[in-house]
Amino acid sequence: MSAPATPQLELRNVTKRFGGVAAVDGVTFEVAKGEIVGIIGPNGAGKTTLLNCISGLHRLDGGDIRWEGASIAGTAPHRIARLGIGRTFQIVRPFGSMTVRENAAIGALFGSGNIRRGPKEAFVLADQVLDLVGLKAKAGHPVSALTIPDRKRLEVARAVATRPQLLLLDEVMAGLNNVEIDEALEMVRAVHATGVTVLLIEHVMRVIVGVCRRAIVLDFGQVLAQGEPEAVLRDERVIQAYLGERYAKRLGAESRNGHGRS
Amino acid sequence: MIASGRRWRRIFVVVGGILAAYALLAPLTSLDAAQSANVPLLADRLWFRIATYIAMFIVMATAWNIIGGIAGYAAFGNVAFFGIGAYTTGMLVAKAKWPFLVSLPFAPLVSAAFAGLVGLPLLRLRGHYFAVASLGVGVAVGELVQNIDYGGQPLFGGASGLFLPIYSVGNRDLFFFYLMVAAAAIAIGITWWVLRSRFGYGLIAIRENEEAASVLGVNTTAYKVAAFALAAALTGLAGGIFCQWSVFINQDNAFPIEYNVQMILMALLGGTGTVFGPAAGAVLLQLLIQFLGGSLPISFEIPFVSTDARPIVAQVFLGVLLVVVVIFVPRGVIDFFGGRSRLSLSYLRRSLRETSL
Repeated sequence: MSAPATPQLELRNVTKRFGGVAAVDGVTFEVAKGEIVGIIGPNGAGKTTLLNCISGLHRLDGGDIRWEGASIAGTAPHRIARLGIGRTFQIVRPFGSMTVRENAAIGALFGSGNIRRGPKEAFVLADQVLDLVGLKAKAGHPVSALTIPDRKRLEVARAVATRPQLLLLDEVMAGLNNVEIDEALEMVRAVHATGVTVLLIEHVMRVIVGVCRRAIVLDFGQVLAQGEPEAVLRDERVIQAYLGERYAKRLGAESRNGHGRS
Repeated sequence: MIASGRRWRRIFVVVGGILAAYALLAPLTSLDAAQSANVPLLADRLWFRIATYIAMFIVMATAWNIIGGIAGYAAFGNVAFFGIGAYTTGMLVAKAKWPFLVSLPFAPLVSAAFAGLVGLPLLRLRGHYFAVASLGVGVAVGELVQNIDYGGQPLFGGASGLFLPIYSVGNRDLFFFYLMVAAAAIAIGITWWVLRSRFGYGLIAIRENEEAASVLGVNTTAYKVAAFALAAALTGLAGGIFCQWSVFINQDNAFPIEYNVQMILMALLGGTGTVFGPAAGAVLLQLLIQFLGGSLPISFEIPFVSTDARPIVAQVFLGVLLVVVVIFVPRGVIDFFGGRSRLSLSYLRRSLRETSL
């Protein structure tokens, strides 16, 4: 895969402070068109804050975010959505009074591109997207009737319905069991196969290793390591950040004795 | 159950249609004819007054529903737009000597422009903060209108109010009744359109989760301000008609603070977010207010309450009603006519579970 001249998404020294705390502190990375990139890191590492910065919900305190070469720092969330950056929320935020189909239709009605769709066309697109994420059978259900995994699917469906070029997924697998994770992985692959770049935050290592070609590790708001998922997960600093110093030392000793996992 | 729901819906539509047609068409036979033929109720001028008031409140409750019910921003100061509409048309007629019907379109325009202006900062506030701030605006505008002087003279008539020349038209009662009904029809028609449009879906998305709406591409600021301005325009239109109907306006009748609560209560009672709910609520509540206030020809003695105290009792009753409606009928009475729900003990119990923690 040869990287195009201009990366699709480019973060340069992105910084976001809350009071005196820098939740995101000088983060720099690039995402090429068509990639699936994972962002991992311990709780409070600044993953969600970073996503909020990209989707325009947070104003940057420093640095720049570029979309296809042009700066989108300070751009309103709805404009960013219309440029082709879709996102989900870690804690799902469905429109409670609407049906599953109507929820997806909101994405289709507003979403990216310059085509103004009427409600009729939006519902057609919503149905296609619900089919893609496996919610077709529940299109007419009220959101309150959905299970947790289905709510996560709906969150993805709504974002996909905006026809994004880049999809930001915030822990869509959290709280799912193994079977549900497999299904969700299939869903992410299916969305990716339609030509969407995916940037996903995950705690579940299996997901990162399973779908991502590249992983970025955040810790205390900074990029700790990035590269191939397997390599990144073997990185001693990453193990330390995730599992604590003592565990890392023991693991290090074991691997020196030839008992380490590979 | 579904069958009985449908039957009720049909009965509701038929009865409602007959009543509406009767109310709208019977006056055409003129009051004199009605009196000689002894047509019940319509022979009475008072009923005309009340019917016109009902139509006026249909406009205001339906307008409030656009910002409060569909977009979910509880505006508590919409009476400001009613007053601004009234004073806009009032000033044009009384001071600039423009014809009434030429002045009338400026009422919704000025109200909407004002809503756009205050909406930009106000609609950044959410929940209670917006409600309180909008109430402040509602009160402040009335005070300003009464107290602004220009060159030593009160600009808008001041405390003594504003007198308009009487509008000469064949039958004034009939004219203003139909004008107000037309405004109500416009308000309901606009709501019907909004709920089927991209605009309406965006507003509902904002109501349900504003941040989620914004990342899906809804321009939340523009949509909220547009909804506020649309509600203001319709409320202003009602005010514009009212000023010429009433002939005299001052702070008390153009900016009545109780209207703020009444229009919200009407929308809640009938069913927020629906096309006809606020209108149904307006009819029910306005009749109730007039009845309790003792203005209806059919009335009765309330034990232990003197005639003078009846309006106060009405206020107390409205307060109690507000609580009961919010707790037990959260989707409004219109819910019973959609064929989905029936009024029963289990319905009330379910509502109580939904609305209490």
